[in-house]
Amino acid sequence: MKQQDRTRLHRTSSRTHCTTPILATVVFVLTTVSWGSALGDDAARTKEEGVAFFETNIRPLLVTHCYSCHAADSKKIKGGLTLDTKAGWEKGGDLGPSIVPGDPKNSLLMEAVRYEDEGLLMPPKGKLPDADVARLAQWISMGAPDPRTGAPAPAASEGTGMSSPEAIAEARKTWTYRPRVDPPAPEVVDHAWAASSLDRFILARLEAKGLRPAPPADKRTLIRRATFDMTGLPPSRQEIDAFLADETPDAFARVVDRLLASPRYGERWGRHWLDVARYADSNGLDENLAFGNAWRYRDYVIAAFNDDKPYDQFVREQIAGDQSTDAETEAAARHESLIATGFLSIGPKVLAEPDPEKMRMDIVDEQVDAVGRVFMGLTMGCARCHDHKFDPISTADYYALAGIFKSTKTMDSFKIVAKWHENSIADADDLARKAAHEARVAAKKKEIDEAVAGETARIKKEKGEAFAIPKDAEAKLYAPAVRDRLKKLREEAAAIDKEAPEEPTAMGVVDDAVADAPIHVRGSHMTLGKIVHRRVPTVFHESTSNPDFDAAASGRLALARWLSAPEHPLTARVMVNRLWRWHFGKGLVPTPDNFGRNGEPPTHPDLLDWLASRFVEDGWSIKAMHRRILLSSTYRMSSDHDARGGEVDPENRLYWRVDVRRLEAEEVRDALLAVAGVLDSKMGGSMLAVKNRDYFFNHTSKDTVTYDAPRRSVYLPVVRNNLYDVFQLFDYSDAEVLNGDRQSSVVAPQALFMMNAPLVIDLSNRLATALLGDPGLDDDGRLARLYQTALGRPATADEIARAGEFLHRFAAISPLPADDAAGRRREAWRAVCQAIVSSNEFFYIR
Amino acid sequence: MNPFESELTTRRRMLKQTAMGFGSLAFAAMLDEQARADAARDPLAPKPPHLKPRAKRAIFLFMKGGPSQVDTFDYKPRLQRDHGKDLPFAKPRVQFAQTGKLLGSPWKFRRYGESGIHVSDLFPHVAQCVDDLCILNSLYGSNPAHGGALLKMHTGSDSFVRPSLGSWLVYGLGSENHNLPGFITICPTLAHGGVRNWGSAFLPAHYQGTPLGVASQPSDQARVRYIRNPAETLEEQRLQLDFLARANRDHLEATGPNPALEARLGSFELAFRMQSEMPAAQDVADESPATQRLYGLDDPVTANFGRQCLMARRFAERGVRFIQVTHSDAAVQWDQHGDLRKGHAKNAREVDRPIAGLLKDLKARGLLDDTLVIWGGEFGRTPTVQGAGDDGRDHNPEGFTMWLAGGGVKTGVQYGATDDYGYYAVEQKMHVHDFHATILHLLGLDHERLTYRYAGRDFRLTDVSGVVAKEILA
Repeated sequence: MKQQDRTRLHRTSSRTHCTTPILATVVFVLTTVSWGSALGDDAARTKEEGVAFFETNIRPLLVTHCYSCHAADSKKIKGGLTLDTKAGWEKGGDLGPSIVPGDPKNSLLMEAVRYEDEGLLMPPKGKLPDADVARLAQWISMGAPDPRTGAPAPAASEGTGMSSPEAIAEARKTWTYRPRVDPPAPEVVDHAWAASSLDRFILARLEAKGLRPAPPADKRTLIRRATFDMTGLPPSRQEIDAFLADETPDAFARVVDRLLASPRYGERWGRHWLDVARYADSNGLDENLAFGNAWRYRDYVIAAFNDDKPYDQFVREQIAGDQSTDAETEAAARHESLIATGFLSIGPKVLAEPDPEKMRMDIVDEQVDAVGRVFMGLTMGCARCHDHKFDPISTADYYALAGIFKSTKTMDSFKIVAKWHENSIADADDLARKAAHEARVAAKKKEIDEAVAGETARIKKEKGEAFAIPKDAEAKLYAPAVRDRLKKLREEAAAIDKEAPEEPTAMGVVDDAVADAPIHVRGSHMTLGKIVHRRVPTVFHESTSNPDFDAAASGRLALARWLSAPEHPLTARVMVNRLWRWHFGKGLVPTPDNFGRNGEPPTHPDLLDWLASRFVEDGWSIKAMHRRILLSSTYRMSSDHDARGGEVDPENRLYWRVDVRRLEAEEVRDALLAVAGVLDSKMGGSMLAVKNRDYFFNHTSKDTVTYDAPRRSVYLPVVRNNLYDVFQLFDYSDAEVLNGDRQSSVVAPQALFMMNAPLVIDLSNRLATALLGDPGLDDDGRLARLYQTALGRPATADEIARAGEFLHRFAAISPLPADDAAGRRREAWRAVCQAIVSSNEFFYIR
Repeated sequence: MNPFESELTTRRRMLKQTAMGFGSLAFAAMLDEQARADAARDPLAPKPPHLKPRAKRAIFLFMKGGPSQVDTFDYKPRLQRDHGKDLPFAKPRVQFAQTGKLLGSPWKFRRYGESGIHVSDLFPHVAQCVDDLCILNSLYGSNPAHGGALLKMHTGSDSFVRPSLGSWLVYGLGSENHNLPGFITICPTLAHGGVRNWGSAFLPAHYQGTPLGVASQPSDQARVRYIRNPAETLEEQRLQLDFLARANRDHLEATGPNPALEARLGSFELAFRMQSEMPAAQDVADESPATQRLYGLDDPVTANFGRQCLMARRFAERGVRFIQVTHSDAAVQWDQHGDLRKGHAKNAREVDRPIAGLLKDLKARGLLDDTLVIWGGEFGRTPTVQGAGDDGRDHNPEGFTMWLAGGGVKTGVQYGATDDYGYYAVEQKMHVHDFHATILHLLGLDHERLTYRYAGRDFRLTDVSGVVAKEILA
């Protein structure tokens, strides 16, 4: 029953064109309902009585049951439908006209009040009494006489007014959409402090408030800050010593150059990007299958940062790398940009969604949302079901973009369990290996076939041509020698099968059949509205040139080029703001993933535009932007508290000092591994134990993923729905939704982890063992080395004394046997190491 | 309105993220009056509900896999009569798999209690409590796959990452015990949504569920991660934490006022207390033998789930807001596409006595008045047969049964109905959103007012739907 009803919803649009001719209506009315005493009654009387019927029976019913949601003065007009004027139901709501006068059967209103359709039950609070339903039908049969005049309420429910021409014109003037300017750096008083133009933007605001920037950070603090910032690791003793010894003015610039050249840089900053790319090694949500090749995208990102790939190219490759003309035609470069399109594929997906069309549109939606937020800081996803409530994005804008991704092949199959697409990245060697293997398989099969054929011929010869070879002939009729030989051959064939070289593939997309998408009314693929030609959102039509979207291609390349064009008002702004956020812990726009009206406006709009201009001018070089920021006086300030700053600007929105920041999840783990001396610096590759497309969990809850390898955290598996608990504890990106602004929480389970986790105890033990094993040190020297290694500074005499006393007392209360002095000593050292790496000084960067 | 959204400033947001709930944070010298007031308002502090609450806490007995309504609490004489015939109306447009003819229940139904409600022979013990139940026979959802349906049941959304029911409750109401988490999930399943089902999504991390073990672990081994130190005595650890605290205080002094650093100092003290509080709450050894028997701890078949239920009661007593107990082993749970007779019988036997024990125990202790007990799976099963034999049922989100007890619901009643065969919910239909709205209402929260601002809009557990089933309120 539902099936029919649902499909009927589809037909609403066609129903709207077949309005019944008036004459037929009248005849229908008169014959079926016996309204009026006879044919030929004058029309005026009919009309009068019809109106009377309406006033007596229908108006009160509409007022009581419908007006609260379907009248001009409703708190909220639902479904775009008003029933307080005749024009209201004539125009109808999102699903088209509500009433076909004279034809209750084809009137949507009747369908709704009869509770025939799952998706359309009105009134929602409960079905009307049968008598009321019958009266409504009678009234419609009469031709729905309705004296109520007036225009229907202007706004359809899904129209929020944000997409009107006026609203768009208004929006184009706001900081988000207006073209980027290149403002001159403001005048400042303290020229000595303002080493760069960047600093002048900061200082001018401080001076205006009568604030002074904090003094420069000392060199130990600075190198620790910069090293964690750029590599996610603590500086080594040697690196600190070298910096302290270098008294030349560009000593810090040299440190910055060294850090930027380190492969560790890409691992740290690539990980930042993976946060916004919602990177994971599984689809999450429901069935949770392994994205066994997602790691290739992760490695691509790390390499892109290490190679300082121009950001505009980086954007183009991720959206349209399969069509990119940036890359050389050589295989390696082509594969690289194919891998880049993994960006579109690695999002969370419901792979067991039983409705294939819903799955398809959910995936498209995820892509539109990701592209909108990652590159433009716009929450496009909001416009899937209705015009955006806060930003000038209409459902038409949304489906114009959705058409691009609907024309893109992300999935090979939508059948449960759905299969995502992967592109071959086999090189000549891979193909040769594959061919060689196939030849071996064929050869072995031939041998088997020949043996079977030979034996079949022998049996036929023996038993006659007409003899039907039974299925179990091999077991019963074959000569034992042949049987043995076949067994051996089959074993060999199976062994060859196992050696099949895996053709390397990468998650990613290619174009599919190209088509524009219809508006999905209220986001439902069951109720389709008008088709929207693919284009970029209207609000950008003045600041950028709207590219052509033709029938030959999905339009991803056009979209990617449009996004990465120098004049795009958002792409550069959004990225420099992300970079600023990752350096300073807060963005110039404090909501880096939302540049819309519901985000927060920039604290330094001029600086944002100035930086964005430099970014484009520098050929979209991310490393150049790092240099610009790190070498500024702003970055090099201390985090010292200042009474006046605390009073005037307690949140430090003006940057009168540098904020103290907690280590991020990966930094916590990597720094622990580093100070324990066990960090493995091997780069890249997959660390998944499950095969591509295999279940992480099916019906069982056994967790087989391990995180024991001392590799950098960026390489550990990211299993959606079951993230590594150490990551979860420390506010790791959720991996389901993009996140350019991680939280930094302090919760008791983090303390439990530092107190009790085997990982922390083990690493503390290793650190202790290394210290105790150094024959060149006495205990004071060991403690000094501990502070040096873990905190990057010498211990004070007080600290050495206190730690020494702790060691003594801890050993004294040890439950170990009294004669196990070595054991007691080792435990005490483990405990002191654990305390130091648990300390706020280890966890917070100044 | 999200009670925190007025706190627009970064500093206040930081306080929100760092305040710990361990009482007085010594901010006095550092912060102005307003900030101090904010810090005192820790995110887990009890909050006034929107409405007069009928229940203060909830226990969700989750039967993973989808128990069959027509074999348990939704008696369908027509189904018995028409066994082997065709379903006389259309099956849903979207089905998980194909099913065949009508399959009568292999179990006998009997009337129980003063209410005379029919319960099948699968649940003879729960049947004894039928006068305390409010049976909802008209639940429906949309997703016929486990993953989607689990997420829908727990978070209200099968396609987006959303906070789970328990997270919303703790966010809305706070917690009444600061040494225990506000939301505990005992032996949850890692499959089909996994942590999403107890995750806080975009709500702050304080509101996420704390898992005790996982479904593949026996419940007597279920622990909070890292709750025990494998290397130190408590005395040693105290000494170590004192040394750490001293270092942290020195550091704080050098750094200057910083609420996060201050909060982190306190977090170690709270963690230290949790180490003893949590195992004590879990330890059922001090329960009387009679109580242990009541929950079936004396029978190896019922002991595992019984211990989960008994722990749930102990957490409820200690003020934990939302406790989920999952019945799911490493095999197929309640998901009997085949082997219905054997599978459902085994499952029911494992949970029947413990659930009845929990209800009786809560009642005897006066806890049932303000504890809402929720029973059910992610969907029901088809009244039509699946597979070649006559011993399996497919997933069915179109109409299924859950029940409530305690916490201000009417008792000894059935609400809503499915059609004559138990396929579709037809009367007083209750969508999962309606179910959530009703649960929030019972706990004193208005589902339309319980919102959280994220990515530029206010989110709700019930999205843009949900109607409270007022008829079932006592």
